[in-house]
Amino acid sequence: MKKYILKRLGLSIGTLLLIILILFSLMQLMPGSPFNDEKLSPAQQERIRDHYGLNDPIPTQFVRYVGQMVRFDFGSSYNISKDTPVSELLKTRLPVSLGLGGLAILIGSFFGLFLGLYAALRHHRIGDTIATFIAVLGVSIPSYVFALLLMYVFGHKLDWFPMLFNAKLGFISYVLPSVALSVSAMATIARFTRTEMIEVFQQDYMLLLEAKGISRTRLILLHALRNASIPLVTVLGPLVVNLMTGSLVVEKIFSVPGIGQLMINAIQSNDYNIVLSLAFVYSAMYIGIMLIVDILYGILDPRIRLTKEAKND
Amino acid sequence: MKQLRVKHHLRWLSAATALALALPFMGLSRVSHAEEGEKVLKVQVEVEVASLDTAVATDGTSFEVLANMIDGLYEPDASGQAVPALVESEEVNEAGTEYRFKLKEAKWQNGTPVTAHDFVFSWQRLCDPETHSEYSYMVETAGVKNAAAVIAGEKKPEELGIHAEDDQTLVVELDFPVPFFHSLMYFPIFYPINQEFFESTNGQYATSPETFLANGAFTLKSYEPAATSFELEKNPDYYNAERIKLDGLQYQVIKDNQAAALAFNSGEVDITRLGGEQVDLYKEDPAFQTIRGGYLWYMAVNQKVSGFESTHMRKAVVMSIDKQNICDTVLKDGSVPANFAVPIDLATGPDGKDFRDSAGSYLEFDAEAAKEEFAKAKEELGKDSFQFEMIYEDTEASTNVAQKIKEMVESNLEGVEISLKQMPKKNRIQLTSAKDFEISLTRWGPDYADPMTYLALWTTDAPYNYGSWSNEEYDKIVKSCQDGELSLDQAARWEALHEAEKIAMEDAVILPVYQVGGAYMIAENVHDVHFHSVALNRVYKDAYMD
Repeated sequence: MKKYILKRLGLSIGTLLLIILILFSLMQLMPGSPFNDEKLSPAQQERIRDHYGLNDPIPTQFVRYVGQMVRFDFGSSYNISKDTPVSELLKTRLPVSLGLGGLAILIGSFFGLFLGLYAALRHHRIGDTIATFIAVLGVSIPSYVFALLLMYVFGHKLDWFPMLFNAKLGFISYVLPSVALSVSAMATIARFTRTEMIEVFQQDYMLLLEAKGISRTRLILLHALRNASIPLVTVLGPLVVNLMTGSLVVEKIFSVPGIGQLMINAIQSNDYNIVLSLAFVYSAMYIGIMLIVDILYGILDPRIRLTKEAKND
Repeated sequence: MKQLRVKHHLRWLSAATALALALPFMGLSRVSHAEEGEKVLKVQVEVEVASLDTAVATDGTSFEVLANMIDGLYEPDASGQAVPALVESEEVNEAGTEYRFKLKEAKWQNGTPVTAHDFVFSWQRLCDPETHSEYSYMVETAGVKNAAAVIAGEKKPEELGIHAEDDQTLVVELDFPVPFFHSLMYFPIFYPINQEFFESTNGQYATSPETFLANGAFTLKSYEPAATSFELEKNPDYYNAERIKLDGLQYQVIKDNQAAALAFNSGEVDITRLGGEQVDLYKEDPAFQTIRGGYLWYMAVNQKVSGFESTHMRKAVVMSIDKQNICDTVLKDGSVPANFAVPIDLATGPDGKDFRDSAGSYLEFDAEAAKEEFAKAKEELGKDSFQFEMIYEDTEASTNVAQKIKEMVESNLEGVEISLKQMPKKNRIQLTSAKDFEISLTRWGPDYADPMTYLALWTTDAPYNYGSWSNEEYDKIVKSCQDGELSLDQAARWEALHEAEKIAMEDAVILPVYQVGGAYMIAENVHDVHFHSVALNRVYKDAYMD
């Protein structure tokens, strides 16, 4: 197992470097500069580019960038927050997105599991139809509409939650954006849970367990859910990364100072260092979560653990 | 099919769900930001502040926030005219090339007096190549002696034409007289910075309330780089503190128009901008206002492209566009048709009147005249059909305007086809600057309150002369108004600028479309927020709330 993880880690670092190299090259192709192209004359732009070393050959820039990065220096913003170290921006914005995403995952998983379980238990009955309908609605309503709807009803009309994100208000501020963010995750999880549970319920071992007189709570939560959870973990992995890295739409509507918005703004304004750093964070998170998912498989399903250990040790 | 009987499990799950749903609502109470009775104005902005360092900031939001907190030599009055701020009195030499300012007695928020040295430090730093300020070219525009050489690194910052004679006396030397020098002085890059304080921040200047020093109407209460909300509070030590009626300003970044309108409706903000698509919904509301901005949107036409070398052709295209219709049915935000090159409310002349009051109206919509011009163009060019490509950026307003222009031109000028090409703004600017386009729907915002901020764009060698137009007489007038003979005689200069605009418009050097407006919701209890089209979007020094 140790060897396996080490191998995976090595591979991950290689992948990260490759991602940065590709991004670095792609960004050179973007039109314009991070500076005020509209007002600055070519000579003025040249001067500023020189200052930031943007006129150096790409390999030189790349080596310098990676050199800085291993020392956790992600460079400075050129445009969005001029001359502010990107690490500063990440320090304030990343926790917000992680918090929102984390809460969204909790809400989404809880209700998704509940809906899916309910639908599976009520298979072919009205409850199933209603639960499935809610799940379909969850995937098909654009998050823009849903977020505005939440804002209108719970922020404006009922006045239960602050309409706009305000870090000082703490948890309460996270609720509406998290709920908005969780809807698609909830729908996906509900659909997967339902399908998997229906399949598991049809297995012979379920019948055996029931015949043995095991309590129903134990039957569903311990045996059925555990067996259904392996495909669930597979979809949950990428879902977690998606939610944690923030969403442009939800962040824009609730004015959340997260990294989803930052990424889009940075791409639009050619703020190279922010784009690279965020891409790095995204990739690192994705790779990290995938690693955790792999390890989770082993914990959830002893068969996987055994085969992997046999192969790698 | 196998069914499991699980009624009581469902009941258990439902109870848990209900509990989870109810949790967030427990102990809820709405938190209001300001204390009772405090007059704090809540303002929506569309983007984050890019920097509170006057030498680094380049955007309207940063400038607006900076002007709340630092006073410069001059400030705009309600109509945009430059009036003294920190200047007590001034002497100008006869040639208009040396200004001697006596400063008012004012204090920085830490108690140190504001001195002439603060200006010297700020300007020298601005021009120092080490600072790599994007806006340092404005010091060249202001005509400050040696500015170009200092910015290019050929001379030392100490050689810049600014020095402190004593703590209260500031002397600025110019290479040539600049008639709009005063109005440049309210541009935030020219504001003072206290050197001692600046150096004490160890490179962290203007990144937090602790590292920012105000001398103006408000001080920074809470802020961090790229914050989506931050607060300013009244500066009790401001030299003109009795003028300021607001207790503070609370800025909130809201980028989504719908969310902004909702926030206004529920009182979370007192001033917000609306999108064009919301205007119909709100225009009957007493809080609705449209405010004219400074940007001029126009079509740059490349005269190197076959067809556009003909003045008749250019005139035919622009005169076939019903600009009023575009403003009324597409933009709906108070934008006005532009039958000019120098926008309305940009500059006041020596006669005390707006430039436009004494200027003509050019290239107005006239379908018949457009057809006549087109007939002449066809004869001149020996061709009956023309295809042009128009590039425009991917915003809603630009997309709709471009579509409308295409329809209007094609229906009025039989034989002209315009194909549309949408692209990101950066892309459009790059192609336009490289003169790699046929028609570009582009814009220009004023840098200072003088017609020259527009008219200097179209001289033969200007980098912004996208269409490659050239007119010797025009070049001569503009040059003379800039730093030649005419720059000394205000009345003659004003007349010459009118003449220059006439030449440019009669030749259709650009095809002006509209001067932007902004649709705003301003709470009815808020008064005297002054909107400007140059440098500072909004000024709150006279603002008050009932």
